[in-house]
Amino acid sequence: MCSLITIVHSGRIMCNFSFQEALSNMDDYDKTCLESALVGVCNVVQQEWGAAIPCQVVLVTDGCLGIGRGSLRHSLATCNQRNESSRFPLPFPFPSKLYIMCMANLEELQSSDSLDCLERLVDLNNGEGQIFTIDGPLCLKNVQSMFGKLIDLAYTPFHAVLKCGHLTSDVQVFPRPEPFIIDEEIDPIPKAINTDLEIVGFIDIADISSPPVLSRHLVLPIALNKEGDEVGPGITDDTEDENSANQIAGKIPNFCVLLHGSLKVEGMVAIVQLGPEWHGMLYSQADSKKKSNLMMSLFEPGPEPLPWLGKMAQLGPISDAKENPYGEDDNKSPFPLQPKNKRSYAQNVTVWIKPSGLQTDVQKILRNARKLPEKTQTFYKELNRLRKAALAFGFLDLLKGVADMLERECTLLPDTAHPDAAFQLTHAAQQLKAASNGTSEYAAYDHNITPLQTDFSSSSTERI
Amino acid sequence: MKIFSESHKTVFVVDHCPYMAESCRQHVEFDMLVKNRTQGIIPLAPISKSLWTCSVESSMEYCRIMYDIFPFKKLVNFIVSDSGAHILNSWTQEDQNLQELMAALAAVGPPNPRADPECCSILHGLVAAVETLCKITEYQHEARTMLMENAERVGNRGRIICITNAKSDSHVRMLEDCVQETIHEHNKLAANSDHLMQIQKCELVLIHTYPVGEDSLVSDRLKKELSPVLTSEVHSVRAGRHLATKLNVLVQQHFDLASTTITNIPMKEEQHANTSANYDVELLHHKDAHVDFIKSGDNHIGGNSREGTFKETVTLKWCTPRTNSVELHYCTGAYRISPVDVNSRPSSCLTNFLLNGRSVLLEQPRKSGSKVISHMLSSHGGEIFLHVLSSSRSILEDPPSISEGCGGRVTDYRITDFGEFMRENRLTPFLDPRYKIDGSLEIPLERAKDQLEKHTRYWPMIISQTTIFNMQAVVPLASVIVKEALTDEDVLNCQKTIYNLVDMERKNDPLPISTVGTRGKGPKRDEQYRIMWNELETLVRAHINNSDKHQRVLECLLACRSKPPEEEERKKRGRKREDKEDKSEKSGKDYELEKPWQESERLKGVLDREKEELAEAEVIKDSPDSPEPPNKKPLITIDEIPPVEKTKGPMSLLSLWSNRINTANSRKHQEFIGRLNSVNNKAELYQHLKEENGMETTENGKASRQ
Repeated sequence: MCSLITIVHSGRIMCNFSFQEALSNMDDYDKTCLESALVGVCNVVQQEWGAAIPCQVVLVTDGCLGIGRGSLRHSLATCNQRNESSRFPLPFPFPSKLYIMCMANLEELQSSDSLDCLERLVDLNNGEGQIFTIDGPLCLKNVQSMFGKLIDLAYTPFHAVLKCGHLTSDVQVFPRPEPFIIDEEIDPIPKAINTDLEIVGFIDIADISSPPVLSRHLVLPIALNKEGDEVGPGITDDTEDENSANQIAGKIPNFCVLLHGSLKVEGMVAIVQLGPEWHGMLYSQADSKKKSNLMMSLFEPGPEPLPWLGKMAQLGPISDAKENPYGEDDNKSPFPLQPKNKRSYAQNVTVWIKPSGLQTDVQKILRNARKLPEKTQTFYKELNRLRKAALAFGFLDLLKGVADMLERECTLLPDTAHPDAAFQLTHAAQQLKAASNGTSEYAAYDHNITPLQTDFSSSSTERI
Repeated sequence: MKIFSESHKTVFVVDHCPYMAESCRQHVEFDMLVKNRTQGIIPLAPISKSLWTCSVESSMEYCRIMYDIFPFKKLVNFIVSDSGAHILNSWTQEDQNLQELMAALAAVGPPNPRADPECCSILHGLVAAVETLCKITEYQHEARTMLMENAERVGNRGRIICITNAKSDSHVRMLEDCVQETIHEHNKLAANSDHLMQIQKCELVLIHTYPVGEDSLVSDRLKKELSPVLTSEVHSVRAGRHLATKLNVLVQQHFDLASTTITNIPMKEEQHANTSANYDVELLHHKDAHVDFIKSGDNHIGGNSREGTFKETVTLKWCTPRTNSVELHYCTGAYRISPVDVNSRPSSCLTNFLLNGRSVLLEQPRKSGSKVISHMLSSHGGEIFLHVLSSSRSILEDPPSISEGCGGRVTDYRITDFGEFMRENRLTPFLDPRYKIDGSLEIPLERAKDQLEKHTRYWPMIISQTTIFNMQAVVPLASVIVKEALTDEDVLNCQKTIYNLVDMERKNDPLPISTVGTRGKGPKRDEQYRIMWNELETLVRAHINNSDKHQRVLECLLACRSKPPEEEERKKRGRKREDKEDKSEKSGKDYELEKPWQESERLKGVLDREKEELAEAEVIKDSPDSPEPPNKKPLITIDEIPPVEKTKGPMSLLSLWSNRINTANSRKHQEFIGRLNSVNNKAELYQHLKEENGMETTENGKASRQ
């Protein structure tokens, strides 16, 4: 999609990613101010596409960079002295390529410092981009040829072969998948995806579970002639010609259509290998109720792009498993994989940084203490949890404090209380006190306080 | 992104000297009395944590957040320093969890206030920290091994977080000098060692902590480069919650974290279960989850977090989830989270809700008042992730529908069959390594590709291209023949399937042959069976190299589909074939067409018409994936001819018609002819099998009875 921005001192936006009428409304303006145009580009792209979508910015210039304030020379001279609010727009805050189309030939540009300035622009965009100049005199033909070069460089369709065993289809992947750098330090070479897209297996949508992706692309089946040239995307033109290549292509069974249909019906995705240790997924994407399409999303390269699937190389066919991991009735799933260690929020860790954290834990013990002997199990569980944390943090005063508290609870027991309650409270208090010395065997981290074995409470405490 | 940045290795050095046993002088009320019950009772005196306790619990909180968000590749080494250095764990991944550290800390215990302060120093710990930074981690080792000659690209950087009680600014400088010197020395040692790495970059974070209410003897200092290898910063922090807050800020800086507050979470009140109030929960995660806000400068920062003054948080609104909808969202990133206040009731309510498998969409309040769903919280295998959903415009607006493209006009794709195929080719994790017969490691994903290759050797994409896959009776064979190896039971099932088909042919059961593209009724029944057998043979032949048992299935198939006995006999009588037939007919089919052809010139018209029909059928079938083309002369014409022969002279339309009807009817008698010729159908078939497969007749008999 395209947007047209004319360069005047305000960087006027002629039209926003749709070309209707805009060209005819264009007037001549008097002043060139490249920087404000680039700021305009920044804003337009971000408002429209966010910060993640790659954008090609094509700057068409006659090589005259303006004069005085607002000229490119002035902008570049001051671009290091900016504050946050008037940041120089390069590098663009989205993945980008800056193509500068000069309506002048190299000699003309080199006679002034224009070329240097324009090269600075590309450099400022982290080297992402290129400058095009006209070969020979300025005439329509040479301009067309310059734009032809840009088209070849930036807009060549990405052709690939989608394979699932022996089932194959020639496809175009749109937009072109961008090369990706995994780690600039240990592997600085950008990785590009294979032109053989090989399906390795299938996974339910519920199991793949909205995975993060680098980019997503339409996968369009194409018909190639013998020379490998694209005959057409198979899209039927309005100008109906019964024998057109497109018409024929539409009637020849194509694997993409079959795959798309089944993925849609089954609610599944196909896992596709894009390169060594690089995978993606194919799925059906509905644009509206009627229209839907085969899409491909790229995962981040690496052996384990999605923690809940585990290592990609370790995924194998269900027929190799002793029993079907999806169950005979398709009622279970081997996914998600459980990590070895639980995260803090799933393992009931003890954090006493805020007083409320500590108070809650003490309250829990107290609440259970008052319901002894019914709550003997929970009482000791909470007590041991507090004890472990106190020992780890070297917070022995807390153990003494809680011991005192339990002793006091013992004195407050009503007459109706079960006799076991008093025994357990005293026992627990003694054990905490012993641990609070920090030296005895009771202070060992792995030691657990166990309920006191009492005769009369066999019905409740000895069930453990 | 760099894997081996400073945050790959973090060394905590915590002072364990006697003065760390001092109270932080911040009291904690732990005896909160419940109303009504404890009138007249004086609560127990509040207690206070020691400087040691504050330091340890703050560092544990730092580690908790780090491990929650980066469970791998970000490693901590914990060192306690008093009269010597106590290294509590190693860089190995197994040592990287809170339980291990807590147990090790419990073993160390609090500092002994009565120990001799002269013997104790934080320097022991700092020296040990430098030493440990030179030690290679398993990740560094793996990367170096993988990169081979480029091993030098693997960096060795690290961070030392030292919590101590310093005496003065010059004391701090002394500590810094010591670290610098030690790095210098150890880098020399590492240069001559294979298992040590030189430190390229070390960030020293010195935290001076002191009891609340005292004056600090040490001044704060921003990060400063002491040498190309070492930078240092000094934080002077009061103990208690101030220290915890400082470490919380640091963990965010060190690991590029950002904060999101989920607001408007409806929660049942603890006391009144029928009312619900709205709560907020603050989460930490990698800052890339806010990338759209940061870059667009449209921060929607909802002011300061409840904690206080130090950090910004992005507020996102809870959207009560719809039930159980399985949807594939366009998600541009997923980042592990850690709740800031992990044990608070709102936090644990939220995390438990998510851990139980529900997902929550989060709405970003925009200035314009419009609603945009920008994030989603979801758990996968007990880990909670903040997913970033794309909320900007799609570049793939209004794409052509798949039905408008190549193959889009075809309407009889085997969608259901391919769905079944996909379910059979679903993936599952194989965590334990498996080995091939030659002892090499077997890669499960390669096995999956192999299986797809096998399963697609013969897989017609459209219904009108196949007969066998439209027949329930073929399923038992088709589902097992694609396997790498067959069991005896599989072979038996395949044979049963074939016998069953033979039986169907004998009974003249109709076949689901497609009539698409043909005029009239399509091919005759016998011809249909020929097409079916050819296709079945194509399928089985595609797999005969898998194993001997596959070969046996083919042998059975070839034996069974051979000519009915009476035709065998005629062949023996030496009749010539008029033949343009394909090779698959080798198995002994013969057609005696020549003589009847001459004798019944007048029937030419009838036959020609049939020929045309068949030719038409052939055109449609003639694509690489489709079964071999049917014979021009179907079996049926042979049987049609004899009755026609008898009626000499001009034929009326009626007689032509009745001839055809008679022919059709007469086919039912053929078996009787066969039997009258005293060739028992069954017996003949089994004899074939016995000869060709070397199998017991009884076994075949058994199979056919079942």
